[in-house]
Amino acid sequence: MNKVTCAFISVLRHTNKSYSSAALLGRQLSYKSDLSLEKIYPNARLQLYTPPPPAASSDGKFNGYIPMDKLDITYSRSSGPGGQHVNTVNTKVDVRFKLAEAQWIPEKTRQKLLQVLANKLNKEGYFFIKSDLTRSQQLNLADALEKLRTLIRAQEVEPVGPSEQTLEKLRRRHEQAARQRLQLKRERGQIKADRQTPSGVDF
Amino acid sequence: MAHLRESSEKALKLLRTLPRVQIGNLRPNPNSKQNDKRGRAQHGGDKHGAGNKGSGQRQNFMRLGYETGNQPFYLRFPYEPYYKGHHMRRQYPPISMLQLQVLIDTDRIDASQPIDIATLCNSGLLSLKPAEMQYGFQLTDDGLDNFKAKINIEVQHASEAVIAAVERNGGVIRTAYYDPRSLHILANPKKWFAKGIPIPQRMLPPQDAAEYYTDAKNRGYLANPEEISKDRLVLAQKYGYVLPRIEDDADYEMLTAAKNARQLFHGLEPGWLINLVDKTIVKLKTT
Repeated sequence: MNKVTCAFISVLRHTNKSYSSAALLGRQLSYKSDLSLEKIYPNARLQLYTPPPPAASSDGKFNGYIPMDKLDITYSRSSGPGGQHVNTVNTKVDVRFKLAEAQWIPEKTRQKLLQVLANKLNKEGYFFIKSDLTRSQQLNLADALEKLRTLIRAQEVEPVGPSEQTLEKLRRRHEQAARQRLQLKRERGQIKADRQTPSGVDF
Repeated sequence: MAHLRESSEKALKLLRTLPRVQIGNLRPNPNSKQNDKRGRAQHGGDKHGAGNKGSGQRQNFMRLGYETGNQPFYLRFPYEPYYKGHHMRRQYPPISMLQLQVLIDTDRIDASQPIDIATLCNSGLLSLKPAEMQYGFQLTDDGLDNFKAKINIEVQHASEAVIAAVERNGGVIRTAYYDPRSLHILANPKKWFAKGIPIPQRMLPPQDAAEYYTDAKNRGYLANPEEISKDRLVLAQKYGYVLPRIEDDADYEMLTAAKNARQLFHGLEPGWLINLVDKTIVKLKTT
């Protein structure tokens, strides 16, 4: 018996839990077939892990990550039809946070949001989003966060002006209008002049 | 339950104030007495509800759907393209999250062990009929708000919200494919082991299912485990919960126990012969 097997069996003997899965006996002893994940994905990290939150975006834009512990989430009953379920279950979600102190929103976007949402903040400076879209609390929470992310991203979108072609078209139209106006003006002027007696004409 | 107590209190209150129960002030429950009046005299008699002349009065009715000779609607169309191949489509009988939670709470399923088709069928409350095109179980989102168990579960289909509900409680969910032969074995393992056949290996999914089971978003058993880890965070952010650190969990070993793509049972390899009578396992000798 190899050393690895001995080590694992000694571990088994000393633990008082009983597992039926082969994973406990270590990767060396687990069954490996032609379709093992190690063979299909040789360079991947096979053990389940919790990745860290993504780093801040290099271009100073919101990367989509919202730290859940910074939000104040409360639940209440939804309005509308729905019988006993809507009367008794807390499906409405209220997500609140202090906008000025939200470090997870990039500085520039935060300032813009403070301007845009100035009338929507409450006295303490909290911005809130409510959702009672669905019958499920969790889906409503997902909806509220989606609304929040859309709102933040909307502030970062730079409005794209008219294209070069459009600008050129507008310039030509403007010039044509000016030309026509002046031509008409000249014609009318000539008509008016023709009505007068000629001045300084050498007969 | 409050409304039942209130109505019984109301009833008792009424009883205290109403007059004594006598034959004269009793009445049967509504709709409990049927009118057995026979068809005679002014209102029940004469035409006896059959009308005047015609097939109605002569009690010679046309069969349902008959259109007085022309081809009836229900016989005009020999087939409809929309249901082509419906008898061959894979079916996944549902298990709601509520059902699963109740099974765990009532100790019908051991949450400290990985849960798969065999576990669910062995509970005795769920059954799978592979012969009727049932390819496994799907976990539905009914009761997902109140789901509280931390489990390692393997089903054949689960929606995103269900995956989020399981992972939010620190559990692990995977979707795996079993071919019909494997399903027969898993639906009743004891009966199959009695046959004395070595455990076969599980086959790969068919082409139309391969994409589903290789996608990390569906937690497919053939998907990249690293992508699955990353998608856990994405889902946690989408559904608004703090992703529990599964590496720090005491049950990490149990939660990450996954079967090989060719394996049917945890801890048993294809090719082994299980002898339930002598309680031995016969393995092929590798020389």
